[in-house]
Amino acid sequence: MKSLIVEGVSKRYWVPKAQKSQPTESRLDRVRNVFSVPLVRELLGAQEVWALKDISFEVDHGTVFGVIGGNGAGKTTLLKVIAKVIPPTTGRILGRGRVVSLLELGAGFDDEATARENIFMNAAINGIPRAVALERFDEIIDFAEVQEFVDTPLQYFSSGMYLRLAFSVAINMQPSILLADEILAVGDLSFQERCLQRVRELARDTGLTVLFVSHDMEAVSRICDRVIWVKDGTLHRAGEPEDVVTQYQNATWELLTSAEKPEEKGSSHAGRYGEILDVKLLSADGREIGSPPRSEDIFVRIRFRTYRAKTLARCAFDLFSKGVLVFRSAQPELVPVGADLAYEAVARIPANLLSETTYTISVGITLIRGEGEEHALVVNKALAFMVYRENSDESSGTLHRTGLIDPTLEWSMEMKPYAIRA
Amino acid sequence: MPSAPDAALAAAPAPDMWVIEPRQYGVLERARELWHYRYLWWYFAAQSVTSMYRRTKLGWLWLFLRVSAPVGINSLIFGGLLGVNSSGPPYFLFFVCGSATWILFERSLLVVTRSLERNRKLVTKVYFPRLILPLSSVAPGLLYLAIMLLVMILTVFYHRRQSGVWYITLRPELLVSVVAVFFALIFTVAVGLWTSVLQARYRDIRQGLRYFMPFWMYFTPIIYPVTTIPEQWRWILALNPMSSVVEAFKWGTLGVGHLTVRGITTSLAMTALTLITGAWFFNREEASSIDKL
Repeated sequence: MKSLIVEGVSKRYWVPKAQKSQPTESRLDRVRNVFSVPLVRELLGAQEVWALKDISFEVDHGTVFGVIGGNGAGKTTLLKVIAKVIPPTTGRILGRGRVVSLLELGAGFDDEATARENIFMNAAINGIPRAVALERFDEIIDFAEVQEFVDTPLQYFSSGMYLRLAFSVAINMQPSILLADEILAVGDLSFQERCLQRVRELARDTGLTVLFVSHDMEAVSRICDRVIWVKDGTLHRAGEPEDVVTQYQNATWELLTSAEKPEEKGSSHAGRYGEILDVKLLSADGREIGSPPRSEDIFVRIRFRTYRAKTLARCAFDLFSKGVLVFRSAQPELVPVGADLAYEAVARIPANLLSETTYTISVGITLIRGEGEEHALVVNKALAFMVYRENSDESSGTLHRTGLIDPTLEWSMEMKPYAIRA
Repeated sequence: MPSAPDAALAAAPAPDMWVIEPRQYGVLERARELWHYRYLWWYFAAQSVTSMYRRTKLGWLWLFLRVSAPVGINSLIFGGLLGVNSSGPPYFLFFVCGSATWILFERSLLVVTRSLERNRKLVTKVYFPRLILPLSSVAPGLLYLAIMLLVMILTVFYHRRQSGVWYITLRPELLVSVVAVFFALIFTVAVGLWTSVLQARYRDIRQGLRYFMPFWMYFTPIIYPVTTIPEQWRWILALNPMSSVVEAFKWGTLGVGHLTVRGITTSLAMTALTLITGAWFFNREEASSIDKL
């Protein structure tokens, strides 16, 4: 049974052309701009932007449906159209049951009102009578764990409490379809886990259908039954979570590496004292590689040249994943370098440390000359790569969850003759 | 192809099925929606009232203070200093009766105009019929009206003690005043349907309205009786539905209003025109204005 059918939905916006405010603008121009009538400018200068282009898909009853894609791809617009918040330009959407949206942290909440008032307001927004909301009240408060703060205005809530309340309210509004936009990425892990579990339970027991938008590919592949990838407002791929997520990650990785030239990054790779020539990833036998296996050592090679004599240099790099700094590593001491020479610094990342995911590396070189004359060369996102695992059987079942790193630790277990209490 | 999904949904026809389409919703659909979301009315009405004195030390006393200043000053200047003729009753009572419905209109319209903008956090994130916002935003105005009525009653009792005259008595004409209040509300909403949507796009509307309101007030027979206006110019006043409302209210309470059939029909026509075009405009533009909030 279908719970939601999206048929050829498009959404057009009229966006006013950006007013360029140039530094050379004369005072007269500025005055003229102030007095130019906005209405006319809007009518003449607006250009159309298609946020969604002919999107069609169907969602089965009682499933968790993932929506992935880059920033600005149209995921949120799609959800807002389904939530009826913005009307589609063409196409139509058929659905059944109550749609509850969890579009943003605290959307539909009034900061100055108390938790109690907000619960009733949300109930009213979802067309639920006060009496029914009253019955659910304790359950909402309990799940959100805000028992002591029922009559506190939300502005004094921590973001965690806020999130818990928002989620708890949403799932207690007897939704048939829940629209969750990136909401679960905010909470702490244990709460995330609790939410995902609850979502799964509801999907199974009450036939709740969930549209789950997230950048957390790990969560998407773990909880979704089906995934679509939205790209530039169109439906790019649809299918099994594993397939779509892998394709998406590969594409993201290619995009990152294709823009590898440091010049394009706008960072100061060249300075008065030197210049970063290139940053490469090498395998143990010295080959340049794009995608290293997890079980082998990985080498980060930084090549740079120097312009001045009597300079001290120290290379460092930051390793990022999912927007988080995983670690920073720097040469332990400053190394003297000479004028107009080329150097090569190599750092080894041990095998079985990184996890099976995408990483980016930003490189920095500090050059010090004389007393306190310090200069930094930086290349942001000099490298992007994805670590892979050779035999995927190793990562079987639910035990496997990719973290930012995945070190192989030493484990032991043996039988001990402790008395077992009866 | 389009028929296949329909069949999939229609396999078990359920009352909870819904469709989202680009087309506009009809009047009936809208009315049904307003009923479905009836629990929200009270919330927004209460919210628009409490937000007037939220975080103040004096609290709801501000509601009284905000009315007392214009009423006190205006009646002092026009009645006391300039000695405007009230055509019968004491000037203060004349002025309070005249401004009761005006204050309802003026205060409500300003709140109604901002209703979409003020709730943009909500409106851009969750769906509910947006019409509830301008409609429930007349609540503060009604409260001000209640305060004015209180002042009016107290004044009547005061004059009874002083001079032994009942200026307002319980008589069937009072029903005309009730109808006048009702029309003031309708006209407020009618204008508000236009301004609230426009305000979502152009914040100039509220500024303009604040600028324009005093002129509108002098264009309405509040501080002066209609009879001071030469006969041949009175049709201009009739174009302003508020002047008929104010006159009707005074006629019902004090019995001094100046009502003509022609004036009333003109005002009714103006109100109907504003309301119908307003409803059409709101229905048409509400959604696309939200995109721009």
